[in-house]
Amino acid sequence: MSDIVVDTWLYGELARYGGQAGQVGYGNVQIHLKAGATLADLLANLSMPTEVRGITFINGQLSAMPGLQPDLVHVLHDLDRVAFFDPHSMWPFQYRHGVAMVGEMADAMVASKDQGLHHTYNK
Amino acid sequence: MWFIRINMSDRTYRVEPAPETYKNFGGRGMTSSVVADEVPPLSHPLGPNNKLVFSPGIVTGTAAPTSARVSVGGKSPLTGGIKEANAGTSWARDLAVMQVKALVVEGQPKDQSKSWGVKVTWDAAAGKPKVEFFDATQFEDQDLYQVFPQVYKQFGDQISIAGYGNAGQRNYANSGVVFNDESKRPSRYAGRGGLGAVMGSKRLKFILIDDKGAPGVPVADKALFEQGRKKMTDALMKHDITKPKGALNSYGTAVLINIMNEAGGLPTRNFTAGRFEGAAKIAGEAIFEGNKQRLGKELYNHACSPGCIIQCSNTWHAADGKEIASCVEYESDWALGANCGIDNLDDIAEMVRLCNAYGLDTIEAGATIAVAMQAGVIPFGDSKGAINLLHEMGKGTPMGRILGSGTATAGKVLGVTHVPTVKGQAMPAYEPRAVKGIGITYATTTMGADHTAGYTIAPEILGVSGKQDPLSPEGKAALSRAFQATTAFVDSSGHCLFIAFAILDIASGFEGMVEEANGVLGTHWSNDDVVALGASILKKERAFNEAAGIGKAADRVPEFMKTEPLPPHNQVFDVPDSALDSVFGEL
Repeated sequence: MSDIVVDTWLYGELARYGGQAGQVGYGNVQIHLKAGATLADLLANLSMPTEVRGITFINGQLSAMPGLQPDLVHVLHDLDRVAFFDPHSMWPFQYRHGVAMVGEMADAMVASKDQGLHHTYNK
Repeated sequence: MWFIRINMSDRTYRVEPAPETYKNFGGRGMTSSVVADEVPPLSHPLGPNNKLVFSPGIVTGTAAPTSARVSVGGKSPLTGGIKEANAGTSWARDLAVMQVKALVVEGQPKDQSKSWGVKVTWDAAAGKPKVEFFDATQFEDQDLYQVFPQVYKQFGDQISIAGYGNAGQRNYANSGVVFNDESKRPSRYAGRGGLGAVMGSKRLKFILIDDKGAPGVPVADKALFEQGRKKMTDALMKHDITKPKGALNSYGTAVLINIMNEAGGLPTRNFTAGRFEGAAKIAGEAIFEGNKQRLGKELYNHACSPGCIIQCSNTWHAADGKEIASCVEYESDWALGANCGIDNLDDIAEMVRLCNAYGLDTIEAGATIAVAMQAGVIPFGDSKGAINLLHEMGKGTPMGRILGSGTATAGKVLGVTHVPTVKGQAMPAYEPRAVKGIGITYATTTMGADHTAGYTIAPEILGVSGKQDPLSPEGKAALSRAFQATTAFVDSSGHCLFIAFAILDIASGFEGMVEEANGVLGTHWSNDDVVALGASILKKERAFNEAAGIGKAADRVPEFMKTEPLPPHNQVFDVPDSALDSVFGEL
C-alpha cells in the first residue's frame, strides 16, 4: 500500500513536536504515513500523547475538543490537513455553533451533555 | 442612588435621586431604558435630542470579580438604531462607588468651536456627587496617547477618564468612547456604533472622575452577595478558559486566529475567503512566543480594569522590547490583519495603537480599509498603506473622512458591492457562512452585526436544551434568541461578558451571578427572572429600532453571503429568512 502525506499543523506548545526554525508559535510539518493510517497513527508518528492536545481539526472540520476525542480512529487520506491545538486554546460555543465537524465529532456532540452546548468538555 | 444629568446646551447639571422605576437597572438595561424612554427614535444621532447615557453595572464597584464594566448608550450614528457598547475600566468602578446609577449627557452647545470637560467629585457636605465644567478645547485634535498624560498632569493621577478622540471630534460614524486602562493608556473602548461622535457632537471632550471620599456601593444583603461572589470567583478560578494562566490569560482573545483559520471561518481579504495563509504569524500563540523571544521571558496578560481575575489583555512588543500596543484583541488582529491580507504583527499592533490614538473602533476601521482595498485604493496586504489610511482618518483628510464614516458608507462612496455589514455596522471576525449560528445573531441583534450579542449561557436554565436540534435552522434561531436575552442581562450586571465562559460550564457560577445581583439590590430574582429581564431589554431595544425605521427587513446578512460560496468549505449562508424572523418574532 502506498504512503500518504498529511499536512500537519502544531499550534502553541505543541510546536515542540514538529516545529521548524522561523515558525514562531506554531509548527508545520509534512508527515508520511501508510495508507489507511488513522489519527492515532499520526499522533504516534509525532510521538505526541493524545492527552496533550486539545482542539483538533481534520480538513477544517472539528474533530476533537478538550475532554472529547472521538477522532482517534478517523482514517486519514493523502493531502489531508490536520491541526492540533494545545490545551491553552479555546473555542467558545457561540463561535462554533453550526461549523463543520467530522462525523465522529458530530455524533459525540449530540451524545454529550446538553447536546454539546458547552465551552469545554473536561470532566 | 443618583442620576447625574449634564446639559451641554447651557453647561448646567442636575444631581437627582435615581427614579424609582429604574432602581434595579444597571449597565445595558439602564442605558437602553433611558434611551428608549427619552430619545425620540427619529432624532438625528448627532443632534441635540440624542442623549449619551453612561451606566455602571449592577455589581460594578463591589468586590464581585471581573465586574468593572460601564455601558454607554445612545442612538447610533452608524446604525441609526439604539446602541449599547461597554468597556472595562476603573472609570466604571469610580462612577459606581459614587452611587451614580446613570450619567446622562443631554443637549448640544450652539458654539461648536469650543469643547468642554467635566470633573465629577464627591461632595461630602452635600452627600452627593458634584460636577465642575472646564474648558477642554486645548485637548482637541491630538493623539490621545499625548492627551492622557496632559490630563493626568493637570488633574492628578487619581482620576479616571472618559472621552473621545479625533474621530469623535469629527463626528465620524466610526468613533468610540475611550476610557483609561490600569496603566493610564487610552486603550479601553466602548468602541462600536459611533458613540464617540455622539459625545463629540455635544462637545464634551472628557468626563473625569475623582472618587475620593465616595461612599461605595450599598449592598442590601451582604451575606447573599458574599455567597454569590464566592461562587463566581470559584468558577472563574477553576475554568480552563478564565483561570490564571488559562486560555485567555496566556494567549488572549487572539488565540482564536488559528482556530477560526483552521475552521475555514476567518474572514480574509474582505470576506472573500475563510482561510488566511498568514494566520499563524499573527495569532495569539505567535504573540506569546514572539514576546518571549523579544523580552527573554514569558509574558502573561494583564487586567483591563480593577478586580479582574481573567486578565486577558495582551501587549505586543517591538524587537527592541518597547511596547507597540495594548491590546491586540482577536477582532482587532483579524480586522487589521487577515481581513486586509496583512501578516505583519508589528504593523497590525501599530494600527491598533493608531485606532486608540485617534478614537476609532478597530473592527469598523479594519473592515473599512478592506473595502477600500477591494476598491483598489491600496492593494490587499499593503500594511504601510493601511497605516497611512488610518492617519488620514485621524487627520481628517477627504479620504479619511470617507473611511471614518464606516464600512457601509465607504462601500457606497467607493462603489464596492462586497460590503460585510448588518444594519450599517461591520461584521466582526466570524464568517457567517462557516459559523451559521453567529450569522443568525449578526443578522438579528438590535445592535447591528455584533459578536458579543449572543453568548452561550446556561442552556438548561434557558429551557432550550434538548427541545430542538441545535444544528437545524430553527434550533439555531431559538438558541440565538435565548443567548441574546441572557447576554443582555450579563451586560446589565456589570460583569465582563467573558464570565459566560465559566458560568456555562459551572452551574454554580451562574447561581453566583444572580445571588450577587440580588445581594446588591435586595431583590429575589430567580434564574428565570434573569432571563426574562434580559428579554425585556431586547424588547425595548427592538421597539426603539422599529420606531426608528429598522424592522425585520434589516435582519439579514449581505446578499453576497447567500450567493458566493466561501472557500475552503464552499458554503453559503443558507439560513432561511423565516428562521431569522423567528428570533424576535417569538421573543
